[in-house]
Amino acid sequence: MIAVSRTIEADVVIVGGGIGGAMAAIAAADGGAKRVVVLEKCHVRRSGSGATGNDHFSCYCPEVHGDDVEPILRELMGSLIGQAKDVELMRLHLQESFDIVKMWEEWGINMRPLGRWNFQGHALPGKPRVFLKFDGRKQKAVLAEQMKKRGVTVLNHHPVVELAKEDGRICGALALNASTPEPSFVLVKAPCVILSTGLTHRLYVNASTPNYLFNTAHCPNNAGGQALGWRIGASMVNMEIPYTHAGIKYLQRAGKATWIGVYRYPDGSPLGPFVTRPDPEYGDVTSDIWNSAFIDVMQNGRGPAYLDCSENTPETLAYMRRAMFDEGLSALIGYMDSKGIDPAKHAVEFTRYEPILHGRGLDVDKDGQTTVPGLYAAGDMVGNAGCGLGLAAWMGWRAGHAAAASAISAAGTTTGDLALNPGIRAKMELLSSFMERKEGADWQEANIALTQIMSDYANVGPYKVRSASLLNAGLSYLNQLRKETNASLKASCSHTLMRAAEVLDLFDCAECILRSALERKETRGSHKRSDFTFTNPLLADRMLDVTRRDDGTVVTSWREVRK
Amino acid sequence: MPPVIDRNKCVGCGTCADICNSNIFVFDRAKDSIPQVRFPEECWHCDSCVIDCPKGAITLRMPLSYTLLHVNADTLGREVNR
Ligand SMILES: Cc1cc2nc3c(=O)[nH]c(=O)nc-3n(C[C@H](O)[C@H](O)[C@H](O)COP(=O)(O)OP(=O)(O)OC[C@H]3O[C@@H](n4cnc5c(N)ncnc54)[C@H](O)[C@@H]3O)c2cc1C
Ligand code: SF4
Ligand code: SF4
Repeated sequence: MIAVSRTIEADVVIVGGGIGGAMAAIAAADGGAKRVVVLEKCHVRRSGSGATGNDHFSCYCPEVHGDDVEPILRELMGSLIGQAKDVELMRLHLQESFDIVKMWEEWGINMRPLGRWNFQGHALPGKPRVFLKFDGRKQKAVLAEQMKKRGVTVLNHHPVVELAKEDGRICGALALNASTPEPSFVLVKAPCVILSTGLTHRLYVNASTPNYLFNTAHCPNNAGGQALGWRIGASMVNMEIPYTHAGIKYLQRAGKATWIGVYRYPDGSPLGPFVTRPDPEYGDVTSDIWNSAFIDVMQNGRGPAYLDCSENTPETLAYMRRAMFDEGLSALIGYMDSKGIDPAKHAVEFTRYEPILHGRGLDVDKDGQTTVPGLYAAGDMVGNAGCGLGLAAWMGWRAGHAAAASAISAAGTTTGDLALNPGIRAKMELLSSFMERKEGADWQEANIALTQIMSDYANVGPYKVRSASLLNAGLSYLNQLRKETNASLKASCSHTLMRAAEVLDLFDCAECILRSALERKETRGSHKRSDFTFTNPLLADRMLDVTRRDDGTVVTSWREVRK
Repeated sequence: MPPVIDRNKCVGCGTCADICNSNIFVFDRAKDSIPQVRFPEECWHCDSCVIDCPKGAITLRMPLSYTLLHVNADTLGREVNR
């Protein structure tokens, strides 16, 4: 058995030190929690999707937008990140997020690279713009510094692999110490846990480079964190509503909204009706609105689709290049420069990527509280108010404060020995068995097998369908894969063990998707059911919650969208 | 694949191994003078290591399969169709 190297007691534990997790840690400390511990898979300075920068912060700035938040809210709900979200939470996000923007500025993040509040991009012509353009290059270093200032304990290279519950309330987390090649376990007891592990990649065959699991638009280490909530009994929402990102064809880590250009067919005509010339104010929202644009043009033979930035003025091209650095795209720029690919001269091909769980996952209230007492969630892993940096920062902030208050009132309620908790024990034994096995399967085999199953049995429209028959077959194959994986996976060091644990999480996310997709007996967006080809108006304002109970059974329920 | 460390420039500070977004390096100070790129296929090409290396010792090599497909914009029938 892998040794337990450390047991820690905390008031608030944060799983994942990305944008949401860092904000949660800062807020928990500000909210009076004395022992705040961040368990981070990689290193808080450079982990997660915001590693080297972001450049659009969704927020409502009265100075720019006027006194009425509602038109801004309508824009946000109509954008890619507003899809299938609780309106109440999105409104609150807008109302409160400018305070976070000002806080970030105070801490040293450059929120006004042009010296003014500049809202640009991601918008329909003539409509208000919801995204503040900023320079996120230093965001992670600044947030790490703010955590340090407040005495937050950060354990880098400590991925969390399981949560624990006692008498119905969260009571701690099991982390893997992956800071040395030899793994050990770390047990952290706490009455409050905030999950903020980002979105989930690596569930479907990679649309750019099949079987290259890490060629992803967002951080590929964010893989399956929603499952930590699922296994402990938190309700999940929107898992069946597919999210597909788009971008440069074979190189996914390339941003999207920062590019200023026009999507064009090879004959030069624009794909969408929104812009015919590049427009820095709005960008070209065609692919946000027409989600399958890039694959449609391949299917109908009119493609491929290119993004053409060549008609920009030199000033706009210089502005775009700067914004790409703000967004953390320096590797892309370096690559393009070295290959002589110049947006002034070249048009680049775009495509739609494989489905991911972005803004799909835990169902939370306005404080980030999940349906499990003591468990909170923030950021891209949240199903009803996640997707993007602004939402992650805001929900992290709220969850941190709420968890601090809850931890203070729940002090002393977690009494049991975490090492004896049945769920924790079982996970420690399973992971230890992977390390003890000398011959067997590598984690990649299991991960790739999963992507095959998901792509064949739970894929998304408009060209792939789901049906009860396909989804049930998928569930049964997943079950087989799970059993074989548990019986044959091997790991040789803490790193491969961390990947093996991710695969187990991915399996659970897959199961939740399959079960949710079975229950949504209609076609909605790219959740395309061949056995229910219509969109049911009665489900328009409803959300599907799927929950795994402690006895392993799965229950579904519908709830109203919170307006 | 991905990060390539210039042995002549690297001073073995370990920053890249510590902060890597994908934990792809292994740096055993007892055995190695510079970090090993142990899991190159897991690089996300985020550029963190390149940016944070104090000696400018790291360059990224993009895999051939990630080729950025592009055409000369003039070929997009601009004059005729716009
Ligand atoms: C190139 C690029 C540009 C982008 N630009 C924008 C933009 O301009 N505007 C915008 O709104 N959004 C943008 N995004 C998205 C934005 O970065 C994310 O929405 C945001 O980072 C989400 O915050 P998060 O805290 O949910 O997740 P992340 O910031 O990704 O953090 C998740 C953290 O959890 C850690 N983790 C994962 N699993 C575990 C585990 N089991 N145990 C412990 N730790 C774990 C990860 O290592 C990571 O640190 C962009 C993303 C990319 C990649
Ligand atoms: S580019 Fe990012 S993922 Fe790749 S080695 Fe450097 S820090 Fe790690
Ligand atoms: S950060 Fe640079 S100098 Fe330091 S170990 Fe890595 S390559 Fe060497």
